Amino acid sequence: MSDKLFKKILVANRSEIAVRVINACRVLGISSVAVYSEADRGSKHSQAADEAVFVGPPPPRESYLDIDKIINAAQETGCDAIHPGYGFLAENPELPRACAKAGIVFIGPSPEAMLLMGNKIESRIKMVDAGVPLIPGMTASAVDPAVFREAAEKAGYPVMIKAAAGGGGKGMRVVYEPDGLEDALAAAQREALNAFNDDTVYLEKYIANARHIEFQVLADGHGNCIHIFERECSIQRRHQKIVEETPSVALDADLRTRMGETAVAVAKAADYLSAGTVEFLVDENGGFYFLEMNTRIQVEHPITEMVTGTDLVVEQIRIAAGRQLSLKQSELSQRGHAIECRIYAEDGENNFLPSTGKIHHYSEPTGPGVRVDSGVMSGTEITIDYDPIMAKLIVHAPDRDSAITKMIDALHDYKVLGVKTSKNFMVEVLKHPAFRDGATYTNFIETHMSERTTNVEAYHSLAAAVASVASLTERQIASVGGGGETLRSTPWQTLGSWEIGDSING
Amino acid sequence: MGRHEYLIDGNSIETTVEKKGEMYSVVVGEETFDIRPISSGLFAVMVDGRKKTIGAATSKGTTYVDIDSMLIELREPSEDGFGGGGGDSDAVKDKIFAPMPGKIVKLLVEVGDTVEVKQQTVIVEAMKMENPVLARAKGTVKAVNFAEGDQVDTDTPIIELELEE
Repeated sequence: MSDKLFKKILVANRSEIAVRVINACRVLGISSVAVYSEADRGSKHSQAADEAVFVGPPPPRESYLDIDKIINAAQETGCDAIHPGYGFLAENPELPRACAKAGIVFIGPSPEAMLLMGNKIESRIKMVDAGVPLIPGMTASAVDPAVFREAAEKAGYPVMIKAAAGGGGKGMRVVYEPDGLEDALAAAQREALNAFNDDTVYLEKYIANARHIEFQVLADGHGNCIHIFERECSIQRRHQKIVEETPSVALDADLRTRMGETAVAVAKAADYLSAGTVEFLVDENGGFYFLEMNTRIQVEHPITEMVTGTDLVVEQIRIAAGRQLSLKQSELSQRGHAIECRIYAEDGENNFLPSTGKIHHYSEPTGPGVRVDSGVMSGTEITIDYDPIMAKLIVHAPDRDSAITKMIDALHDYKVLGVKTSKNFMVEVLKHPAFRDGATYTNFIETHMSERTTNVEAYHSLAAAVASVASLTERQIASVGGGGETLRSTPWQTLGSWEIGDSING
Repeated sequence: MGRHEYLIDGNSIETTVEKKGEMYSVVVGEETFDIRPISSGLFAVMVDGRKKTIGAATSKGTTYVDIDSMLIELREPSEDGFGGGGGDSDAVKDKIFAPMPGKIVKLLVEVGDTVEVKQQTVIVEAMKMENPVLARAKGTVKAVNFAEGDQVDTDTPIIELELEE
């Protein structure tokens, strides 16, 4: 690229997504600046960038969320653009506004688009106008049972009564027959009152066996807007995605085209710029309903990149620099199958409770079609200050079955010792016959994962055997020195505190 | 090469290790495992005709093992039966650490209390289990650095003692 898009980009984020964005800068020959808090001194992302600026104490409000500090850091280091990553300031319209004031380009959508999509009611009204399908139901709450009855008839049974102040399944009732409506309504109101001190409820169509399927969109400042196909993210625990894949087994070519066109219509209605994601709920009959639009790069963007050969962060940077999209809708296709598993520091055997501690050993799988986006290394301390995502494993294979097999191997070969993870939980998901069959609905974990299948105790003897060998060899290796720490060592892995030892390849 | 003992979920497991060339042969009960160190923290074992790459790392008396994505934590029972954190060295008797990262469910002492050797001082919940942490020496409680419900790591002392000479 002869003509640089930007001189220097500040990455206003941390951990794996900061490293990901820094890599995109490197691809484009653009210098990068990381920011880091006290808790992230010496972290992987701060070492990955060309420069790093300290922005304050561990609490995000005093560092990563402090817009003044971020803008100051960009100005002090001579940055002409800021990439927000995801989370933190990524969907805060104040950051693009502050950027504009400071004469810095914000790599992302306009503050107006962020505001519109951040307001769930306003964005739904706008989408109805644009002809985008929403889950049928009431647009306002009511007290009179007759209003509910009429809305239910219109939406078609089964219907769901939901608390307006809702959450956590409280004040929610599924009604399958008209006869049950009034009792359910009263029960939902009582429950909502007890739980939220507010008995306001509303009704919408209940989507049984729903899938969460989202479409990646890209829009430039020249009126070009395309979609880069779907990602299915139905495997969620506590409304948090843990396994994502593309293509979705639920879409055929026709449905994919219609949903893709709808996603583009959503982006255009919002006058959208940059990369965004339009989320849909899809029912068993191929009906799809708009949920919301995320105005940022998503955690799960790599699976799209794997099957389409694109680099979405590079596209974001190009778009922000005023370039036209380098991709054309007609030239895009999906090749093979990709899966992502998120590695959180959490206890997959104990209700996904956050796990903290120091990483004593770290190694990543490598090989064709295996990608790891990570923000940790040996010696990294996982604290309670931030989102516990440590890494994302992404695999790409010719078909879904071989992608599943490859992912199980990748999970086994991804070693992070010292904190707990949900690796084994995800292995069980991937091995489950229902997952293999593609029966991936948003209730998958509640339906299929209450009984766990792994007998960990059967491996206690082997664990003790390995521990006793480790106790003999680790000291020896430490005193010999040299070599890389992992299967196939990368520069990242040699930065840690366990960098000594032999490589498997010699 | 010697015998080793570990605690997993409170159960004791004994091993006997013998070095055979590049390999280590480990007997655990009626089973024998041939283990080959690959690189720091990684070990290869043949199980049912297939090679497994197992990760293992030790810190402060706890060994973390990953076998096919299953995470198993083993503790070395120290001679005095205290187990656990921070005090790999006997020199650190005036500080009481969590045996593993976890949550403080009960503080049993407060500043000014006198504690005896082996007296329970705090209960830390980790790995679904409540782990009593004992005093290693007699002394007076000088500082309590956490409250019930706090998350603790193994590096920051929960309780500090003024030792009695």
